[in-house]
Amino acid sequence: MAEKFDNLEEHLEKFVENIRQLGIIVSDFQPSSQTGLNQKLNFMITGLQDIDKCRQQLHDINVPLEAFEYIDQGRNPQLYTKECLERALAKNEQVKGKIDTMMKFKSLLISELTKVFPEEMAKYKAIHGDDPPS
Amino acid sequence: MTEIFSSLYAQSDAQVPPGSSALGFGPGKPPPPPPQSAVPMTVQIPHQLGDEGPCLRKPGAMNEPFYLLRELPAGNELTGSTNLITHYNLEHSYNKFCGKKVKEKLSNFLPELPGMIDSPGSQDGSSLRSLIEKPPVCSNSFTPLTGAMLTGFRLHTGPLPEQYRLMHIQPPKKKSKHKHRHHRPQDPLPPETPSDSDHKKKKKKRDDDPDRKKKKKDKKKKKNRHSPDHPGVPGSQPSSSSSLR
Repeated sequence: MAEKFDNLEEHLEKFVENIRQLGIIVSDFQPSSQTGLNQKLNFMITGLQDIDKCRQQLHDINVPLEAFEYIDQGRNPQLYTKECLERALAKNEQVKGKIDTMMKFKSLLISELTKVFPEEMAKYKAIHGDDPPS
Repeated sequence: MTEIFSSLYAQSDAQVPPGSSALGFGPGKPPPPPPQSAVPMTVQIPHQLGDEGPCLRKPGAMNEPFYLLRELPAGNELTGSTNLITHYNLEHSYNKFCGKKVKEKLSNFLPELPGMIDSPGSQDGSSLRSLIEKPPVCSNSFTPLTGAMLTGFRLHTGPLPEQYRLMHIQPPKKKSKHKHRHHRPQDPLPPETPSDSDHKKKKKKRDDDPDRKKKKKDKKKKKNRHSPDHPGVPGSQPSSSSSLR
């Protein structure tokens, strides 16, 4: 799994480095630089070919669009992961609180109904079994 | 409504506790006599309540002693009461991202990427969203450039105008004093320099040309100030000058 990412990362790094060197050549161009420039341009195309070949290995990888929002804003995409975990934990705690409250209400309701309607609640418990204490 | 419930849960007068009013089953109205038979009640709901259809009149429910009593749903072992972080073995990830401080900028995530990447992509049209919404129209294959095509890339000699020189500028980075930096090729450069930088590429560290020059100048100034030959040094100690000789 990590190998295909390493392969893609290597190709991307080479591609970026090639582009950077291309920019250096162009920033102060000399006539003798023409052959090097042509070579870098063809390296750029072969680099794109290599990156395109990596696509087949990664066809099952899905990236959430929200992570792209962070990148477009110039922010660290790890913040997206962090916020996802924090939101998941907060929602987990919220739902756990709801479940605990509902369990307490259920046991309280059953106990009070048993006081008022003992026969009916006995039938109810016979059908659904004894509820575990909250 | 109250009469229907009281008829469903009909009990004798002695059995009705005073607390029944607290449960909302009518404030003190005497309940009707209980039915003679012990057959499960099959009360027909009047139409005033609205016909909610077969969903409330399942054949299974009709046989139960309590109307509308259904089977409990299949219990799911995984609920919100479980700590899902530990369930899915995400404790390490949680401590990694939430326990430590994650740096804000994109350049901290991609330190090797050249260019000003911390600026929003919408400013210079390099956003990923625009790429997804409006993908560029291109062919499916990558063909190398032929000689005729490369004639279009013949450039004029000389440096670029100032307005186009921003691409290679690196954002200012904090330099650690203890690390030995291997300098990458600087801008502008002769054409042989990029090939020589292949060995230095492995270290992948870079400096800005103007920043380095400034720092070199500052270092030279400091050295000249502390030297005994410098005329403008007040109170220079003879012990320091003797060490230099």
